[in-house]
Amino acid sequence: MPKINVDGKDLIANDGESILNVCERNGIYIPRYCYHPSLSVAGNCRMCLVEIEKMPKLQTACSTIASEGMVVKTDSEKVRKARKDVLEFLLINHPLDCSICDQVGECFLQDYYFTYGLRKSRFKLENKNQKQKRREVGKYLVLDNERCILCTRCVRFSNEVTKTDELFVNSRGDRAFIDISPEKGVTNKYSLNIADICPVGAFTSKDFRFKQRVYMLQTTKSICTLCATGCKINIWHNNNTIYRITPEPNIYTNTWMCDDGRMNYKIVNSSERLTHSMINGTEYNKRQTVKQVFNKLSKAMDDKLRIAVVLSNYLSIEDNISLIYLAKNVLKTPYIFSIESNQQKIEDGILINSDKSPNSNGIKLLVKKYGIKDISEYAEYDIVIGFYEDIKNLRISLVKTILFSYKKSSYPCLIALKTYFETDGSFINWQGYLRKTAKVVNSPENTFDLHHFLMEVSHLFAVYPDFNFKGIIKDLKYKEEGQ
Amino acid sequence: MKIILEKELFDIKTYITNGGYNAIKKALTMTPQSVIDEVKKSNLRGRGGAGFPTGLKWSFIPKDKSQKYVVCNSDESEPGTFKDREIIHKNPHSIIEGMIIAGYAIGATKGYIYIRGEFVREARIIEKTIYEAKESGYLGKNILNSGFDFDITVVRGAGAYICGEETALLESIEGKQGKPRIKPPFPATKGLFSSPTVINNVETLAAVPYIMIMGGEKYSRIGKEKSSGTKLFSVSGPVNKPGVYEIELGLSFKDFLENYLMGMKDGVKLKAVIVGGSSVPVITADEAMKVNLDYESLSQAGTMLGSGGMIIIGDNQCMVEALYILARFYHHESCGQCTPCREGTGWIYKLLSEILSGKCKEKDIDLLYEIAENMMGRTICPLADALSMPVMSFVKKFRNEFDKHIEGSCEICQR
Repeated sequence: MPKINVDGKDLIANDGESILNVCERNGIYIPRYCYHPSLSVAGNCRMCLVEIEKMPKLQTACSTIASEGMVVKTDSEKVRKARKDVLEFLLINHPLDCSICDQVGECFLQDYYFTYGLRKSRFKLENKNQKQKRREVGKYLVLDNERCILCTRCVRFSNEVTKTDELFVNSRGDRAFIDISPEKGVTNKYSLNIADICPVGAFTSKDFRFKQRVYMLQTTKSICTLCATGCKINIWHNNNTIYRITPEPNIYTNTWMCDDGRMNYKIVNSSERLTHSMINGTEYNKRQTVKQVFNKLSKAMDDKLRIAVVLSNYLSIEDNISLIYLAKNVLKTPYIFSIESNQQKIEDGILINSDKSPNSNGIKLLVKKYGIKDISEYAEYDIVIGFYEDIKNLRISLVKTILFSYKKSSYPCLIALKTYFETDGSFINWQGYLRKTAKVVNSPENTFDLHHFLMEVSHLFAVYPDFNFKGIIKDLKYKEEGQ
Repeated sequence: MKIILEKELFDIKTYITNGGYNAIKKALTMTPQSVIDEVKKSNLRGRGGAGFPTGLKWSFIPKDKSQKYVVCNSDESEPGTFKDREIIHKNPHSIIEGMIIAGYAIGATKGYIYIRGEFVREARIIEKTIYEAKESGYLGKNILNSGFDFDITVVRGAGAYICGEETALLESIEGKQGKPRIKPPFPATKGLFSSPTVINNVETLAAVPYIMIMGGEKYSRIGKEKSSGTKLFSVSGPVNKPGVYEIELGLSFKDFLENYLMGMKDGVKLKAVIVGGSSVPVITADEAMKVNLDYESLSQAGTMLGSGGMIIIGDNQCMVEALYILARFYHHESCGQCTPCREGTGWIYKLLSEILSGKCKEKDIDLLYEIAENMMGRTICPLADALSMPVMSFVKKFRNEFDKHIEGSCEICQR
């Protein structure tokens, strides 16, 4: 554990830790372009140069390992000048058309210029280097090579994270540009991370560009529900509209996220969205729906039909608890089942899980707590209540169903639900961490929070629940971050 | 001692009759450590440009049994430097012998010769030399029944100047783009294929057999105390006898010019000298007349011995144009990794072409100097320095010629 001194402060470094990281841990920010905590060190942008006593030249903080007794200056005259000079070099061939660039607001070139540069351009020549503009890269990205500062974060991402080696630096000197391996193309499932890590406006997201300035957007932390990995995410939204999703890097689950997860928000306003409950081809509003379902169920109970309630790995713990409550206390049916989830495994070695449901582990805990059986043990029911996605997995003949869904489909009785972006809910990811989705936008008027809907049905049966979700969830054996 | 004899030692027979491959016989009777010690005693300094003590470099290699490599840097491509080519033409076996000795000293069984892409004929010569050495049992398994194995592979470059930088060279051998690595780790701990590697210049390795025969002690007495041995200078410019010369270090430039190069051509006066290859600071004629050709004297004069690629500049050459040509080269050859070099070399080149054609104002000359200053020492490898040093020295020492271009009154290039 070497002791070093940075700007007069004595700091203790971990063995093998770079100066940049030691400083970062202790609240001293060193500007950088090529350095990224999750990629290898390239040391090429020269923005993080610091002064170290006894070394004649300035050193890059990202690549210099802290060693005993080092005296580092991160804010000396020499360092400030070096930063200014590097910025000047970066900007001479950069198109200064910020007003029409989509990176504004999260552009490190712009931000650092205001913090460290602020020098009037001395580049008075007419002939700026011109490079390829607006190149389509894969399904989700656009590349503007003129804006590129050649930090090579994107190249290292494709080499080290996805290991697909699609990107490389072509040519050399100031003619160098980011190019795409012709036989590969950018087809990896994580391509939008490149737009995130690009410190300037070279790589932008086709989906997001020119929709909103980032400083107009609010971010809300949530989780991705597209598979059991349960990545932590930031949802960027404004005026009741979601514009993009980016990962919220954390040490527990994810630094990156997949492209499909980012596009997941599109369901909110998609044409496939179920905005009204549909029963036998008729649209119903909220009040009517509750009434209809109540009638159906009470008739079934009078006729002594066998009603099965199927818990869903896709629904939150709250919704599943409500389903159990409905089955046990309202319908008084013994037929409560769970569906076995797929095997949980990171199938591509990065993030995508082979289990596509977000809450399998939550269900496992509920199954244990309430002694619920797997559905494969039973065969024939008169009415099945469950989530529409699960129906294809049910190996039983179906007479009648009452299904919850947020997507349109051909089943006769569909109850319209709020999406993961419109309601709060608790999920337990494949590692056992309890995480919550957050409500970021308002839902269409006639969609339900599932647990509210179930409670309303109970009320019509004159059953008034006396539990709270918090208490039940607290008793479940989930892991907490930091443990 | 002479690395380049008047006679060509092109084939192995002539080399052996002139005492060739005796050095390896001697070395194989010694312990590897004592071979290193002998080279250390000789005070031999790297001839590629940086002048790092060779024995010290070898001693940094860890003494374990892991895979190690010897790499011979024959990527000679600095403007003005053509000494290694001469060694390859005239005495190629000395390079092979030097490499075998280096391999024995550091415990490497594999060597690479990285040869400049444009050296087509030279690559063939090296191939033939290796073949001959193999046939005669100096290369391959169990060399001279000593139990020591050593083999050499030739790798041809593809035309990038930057691949002469040792870590870019290693990247290139590994099949990657020739881009210098961040140091540390140095090649001595993590070099070729992540193994400890010694990289030496052709001329350095060619000197090693002579050191082994002569003994380090005796070799160190040639030349000056801190600049021992002989050095090749490749001289170009308006002198009566340009070419490659092997001289004892410490010879005065005046002596060299008058007695070796036979003075300047008729009607041309000496204006400036670039002593050690295009990347070192230029010195004026007055300064040149006072220096000796060794590491210390030249560094006192504010320049460097470098690779020994001496460019003589006469008074019929416009300095702005000369610098413009240099800048064009370095702009073309920058690998583009580091910001100051990538952008700086381009900016300097563009600015110089404007100055050359008289489109600039006086303050642009100061700007030129400042750009060079801002590039200096800020990059992974010394390529940025290799342009900024000439720029700074040219502007400092020949400012009047730049001013003339601003005024549009340069009488040399009539622009």
